[in-house]
Amino acid sequence: MLGLQKSAEAMSKRWVYDTATLRDPALEELFQLWRYRDLLHLLVVNRIKTRYKRSVLGVVWTLLNPLLNTLVLTIVFSQIFHFDVPNYPIYILSGLLFWNFFAQSTLDAMDTLVWGSSLLKRIYIPRTIFAVAVVGNGLVNYLLALIPLGVIMLVLRHPFTLNLAALPLAILILATFTLGMGLLLSTLAVFFVDLVYIFNVLLLVWFYLTPIIYPLSILPERFLPLFRLNPLLHLLQLFRRIIYEGTMPSLSLWGAAFLLALVALGIGWIVFTRKADEFAYRI
Amino acid sequence: MIQLEDVGVRYRLPSEKIPTLKEYVIRALRGQIKQQTFWALQNINLEVYPGEVFGIVGPNGAGKSTLLKVVSRVLRPTKGRVRVVGKVAPLLELGAGFDFELTGRENIFLNGAILGFSKREMEKRIDRIVEFAGLGDFIDAPLRTYSSGMVARLGFAVATDERPEILVVDEILSVGDAEFQTRSFERIQSFQAQGTTILLVTHDIARVETMCQRAIFLSHGQIVAAGSAAQVVDRYLGRIRQQEETRLAEAQTAEQPWRWGNRKIEITKVEFLDEHGQPKNIFQTGEYFALRIEYQAHEPIDSPVFGMAIHHNDGTHLTGPNTQFAGLDLGRVEGKGWVLYEVDRLPLLEGLYKVSVAVHNASDSEMYDDHDRQYQVRVIRSENTNERYGYLTLNGRWSLTRCTPIQNYRV
Repeated sequence: MLGLQKSAEAMSKRWVYDTATLRDPALEELFQLWRYRDLLHLLVVNRIKTRYKRSVLGVVWTLLNPLLNTLVLTIVFSQIFHFDVPNYPIYILSGLLFWNFFAQSTLDAMDTLVWGSSLLKRIYIPRTIFAVAVVGNGLVNYLLALIPLGVIMLVLRHPFTLNLAALPLAILILATFTLGMGLLLSTLAVFFVDLVYIFNVLLLVWFYLTPIIYPLSILPERFLPLFRLNPLLHLLQLFRRIIYEGTMPSLSLWGAAFLLALVALGIGWIVFTRKADEFAYRI
Repeated sequence: MIQLEDVGVRYRLPSEKIPTLKEYVIRALRGQIKQQTFWALQNINLEVYPGEVFGIVGPNGAGKSTLLKVVSRVLRPTKGRVRVVGKVAPLLELGAGFDFELTGRENIFLNGAILGFSKREMEKRIDRIVEFAGLGDFIDAPLRTYSSGMVARLGFAVATDERPEILVVDEILSVGDAEFQTRSFERIQSFQAQGTTILLVTHDIARVETMCQRAIFLSHGQIVAAGSAAQVVDRYLGRIRQQEETRLAEAQTAEQPWRWGNRKIEITKVEFLDEHGQPKNIFQTGEYFALRIEYQAHEPIDSPVFGMAIHHNDGTHLTGPNTQFAGLDLGRVEGKGWVLYEVDRLPLLEGLYKVSVAVHNASDSEMYDDHDRQYQVRVIRSENTNERYGYLTLNGRWSLTRCTPIQNYRV
């Protein structure tokens, strides 16, 4: 009998939960996320499935949307405001896709934590899993949106350079930064329900403070240092260099962007995992 | 195996809820943020052995669900140590962890992953689960087309496909239709037989007594009693009875809106007594029961009639004895006194009964004081009662006379 019990205990060694020997929450979360990787995969795949399943137009719409947006903005800004930017559609689309990824993912991260809360209150699953899945979704959508961008580049005979090979690294940095922000914001959203609305307004302001639809050159010289405080500016520059200018970003730009992303993820991850134990009685 | 050592869970809630950032900032500026804490669980020490069925009883808000959350890792305890060896499988509420846009098959994988199973494990089990759920062609239709019973079947099929090492059951058995309940109960029993450790929270006391070996009684976050399930259930029921006793006693003295009469004779107090003359409000079937009415006659009255009536809580009028029906002439009544109505063996079966008392004149043309259904008596089952259902025991006797075949033949 005792032998039986022992073997049963050995068999379930994988599933020992002991609060006395738990790792640091930030590390433990990483470990658990790996253990639940199949769930993460399903969450990403399922969201894409449900998004495109109900309407045949789903995929077409995702591809069409940036094209139409670009068309409208191009007409408005190059014809009415006379921004002197060559190949303006590519300038604007490279910025828009970047922005959509960041804005949509951070908003979704806040939403899904509240959506997933009914589950988090009843069963243990790694709590970062929703935010990570949301960023995974953002990645898929971004990659899909690269197709219309490619089409526009072809139509406008914009050069495809070898430097485009660096794009995945830029995307990875953006995803890292976005995940960090998403985690930080969703932690706060658990404690303050109005944060989602406040952040929506902030996003609007942030959008216009980031040179997405206008060139940085229209800004007065003395405001530039102020604009450089915006972390998204540096990340955006990566994409502009690679896609729009077709050049390789400087090492210092890479370094700055990478550091920003790492700091954001570090803060977001630590804050989220420290507070995660309180979620179950807040949401 | 589940071990809890000196576990405490402290909920930290602002004394007034501050749900918005705006309000929080305003209050912070005024220095009005006070953190109020309370212990949802305190000094919890317990050990559940492998293969044991362990019950947790207690009133609402005692911390039962919090305890389950601590064990299933949803909540980290503020204090103490929790050690759980083995995978904990919670029986989720119906529909939790499902995506209603996805098909049944896709949801099996999703739900399995939420329960911590890998894709490979689920691939091995999918056919068995589909078969057990018995949804036919619906398995490939989106969940939003399912009836709630079908969702329940699917959820149960996934959750219980593999015998879990530790099963946490929180009132789940009261959900779903009768057939589903029976099935889930049977499956849980078979897990029990095969050595699954089960942690059971339920208000169904009888179930705790039959299923569990040991139990604890939680109240205000602390263990009040621990030991064999029968002992703990006894303690718990004793506590409930005590609380009901005080509640009923309070109800007796409450304001009486249904009181009417000219109060020439006033009923000043009504009590139910046991055979020692001690007041009580909970009686067992077959017990001695007495009603004592204290009155104050403000002027001399000739031959008043005191009476009472018993209604079942559902409104049925059961009986209405009075002193006149009993052939009693009370003569001239003046000042203070008591009227006693005694029953040697209370024939009422278990239930809540409402008692009215009244005093009127001999021709019932003048009401002095009427307290309509103002008093409550709870009757509980006694082991000596051999009749059930309805309102009354007739305390009858059964017998059987057998006709032998030979006698039959003669006739």
